[in-house]
Amino acid sequence: MSSTSQKHRDFVAEPMGEKTVMALAGIGEVLGKRLEEKGFDKAYVVLGQFLVLKKDEELFRDWLKDSCMANSKQQKDCFCCLKEWCDAFL
Amino acid sequence: MPVLVEEPALLSKSRLRSDFVAHNVKLHLKHIDHRNAAEFSSDEEEDVQDEAEEKPEEAEMPDPSGLTDDDLKAALLRHGFKPGPIVASTRALYEKKLRRLLRSNGHNLLNAAEKVMYSASEEEEEEEEEENGEDDDAESGAEEEKQEAAEQSDEAQPGSSQIGGFFYPQCFLPSSRLRARASRNKEPSPAWNSGNALKSSEQSRPRCSQIPVGISRASSVDHRPGLGSGVQAGSQTVAADASSSFTSPVFSITEMVEEMESRGSLSTSSNTVREFNGSNGQEHCSGSSRLDTPVVDNSSMKNHSVYCTPRTSPHKRGMKPPREPVIDTFKDLLPAETTPTGIYATRRRPIKGAAGRPVQYAYPDTPFSPTTLERRVVERRLVPIHIRFLFFLVMACILYLIYELV
Repeated sequence: MSSTSQKHRDFVAEPMGEKTVMALAGIGEVLGKRLEEKGFDKAYVVLGQFLVLKKDEELFRDWLKDSCMANSKQQKDCFCCLKEWCDAFL
Repeated sequence: MPVLVEEPALLSKSRLRSDFVAHNVKLHLKHIDHRNAAEFSSDEEEDVQDEAEEKPEEAEMPDPSGLTDDDLKAALLRHGFKPGPIVASTRALYEKKLRRLLRSNGHNLLNAAEKVMYSASEEEEEEEEEENGEDDDAESGAEEEKQEAAEQSDEAQPGSSQIGGFFYPQCFLPSSRLRARASRNKEPSPAWNSGNALKSSEQSRPRCSQIPVGISRASSVDHRPGLGSGVQAGSQTVAADASSSFTSPVFSITEMVEEMESRGSLSTSSNTVREFNGSNGQEHCSGSSRLDTPVVDNSSMKNHSVYCTPRTSPHKRGMKPPREPVIDTFKDLLPAETTPTGIYATRRRPIKGAAGRPVQYAYPDTPFSPTTLERRVVERRLVPIHIRFLFFLVMACILYLIYELV
């Protein structure tokens, strides 16, 4: 519980199911909207991208930056969130 | 998970295209058709063969966006990076990664090594088609190396010019350099008429031209022969005993000036110089005595207040005949006057609050700086500070009262 947000903890606590992309830590309304326009409308789609990139941090962060113009902190939050979810459930 | 793999494939063609455009991927229509049709589960062999037939394989290095998926993957592997599946959504990222790797490698490797990489497997045919992107990277890498080499050579040259050609240092030299230089000058000093002296005078000339702070250089060459004897005497003896005179950089100007003088005034008035030398040779550097003697001897010259720069240690006595007459602060040296070195210094404005200095010039009021003017304009408009303060107090009292009453 050191530096994770509530959103992060909520996301990691359970399987994501059909949660929207805005449930991801670091992804708010604006970024969520951009991702949805790109076709990543559900959290699991983003998870898919994360897995296709083989959970590589640099690539995933670059991808986030390119697709929804996330800043460094948002990238980091999202990456950590997904990584932890995968560690727990995948 | 098959679901995920098909997801991107289910995107419409237009959306896919827009994604590609967003990722700055060049659209090779054939590739897109392949991808859409095959839905990412097609045989890789088919793709490779088709593309190999349709389009001669490009060099991998030049254009990551022109590479096939497999080529891109191979290129990334070659750089030591193990990529995941290269699909629509990941392709742009891997291209970017490859570019980054190429750029970093381009800096590290020389051109020869890069050529080795280029010649690997498929590229021989495609050297013609090397795209600008990669060439720019390689060339920029090469150019940077060349620039670095050029810079280094440039840096080396000034260093060597300092060492090779005598030197053109700044005015205030450290004492060690002065000593070294003095020792060097000592040798030619007996041979005043030698070419060395002239050469060194010329060399010292650019040095002295760097003297800062209001010393303006007149036509020294013309004036030098007409100089008084005192200065020359001082300069000669000082130059002769140059080595002992350096204790601090403060001497450097006067010392250099003296040496210039000594160079310039070789032949002329040597006799008078020596006479003067004899009379002053024993004097040490005390201000008053030195002030007197030049006045007596150089009555023709107006600059009577010659003084040596410091009251320095006694070991310098015997070598302190009057120095080159630094322009008196109390007198402005007119251009018509000739100084031994031809250096003129104009008096600076007296410092505000300078104690006891007679104000020679009535300077006009200092012009106000733009910021001062602006500030004044602004302040005129704003409410003055004391009124503001009063207002603040009044409001505080009112509020306090209100608070109390409520």
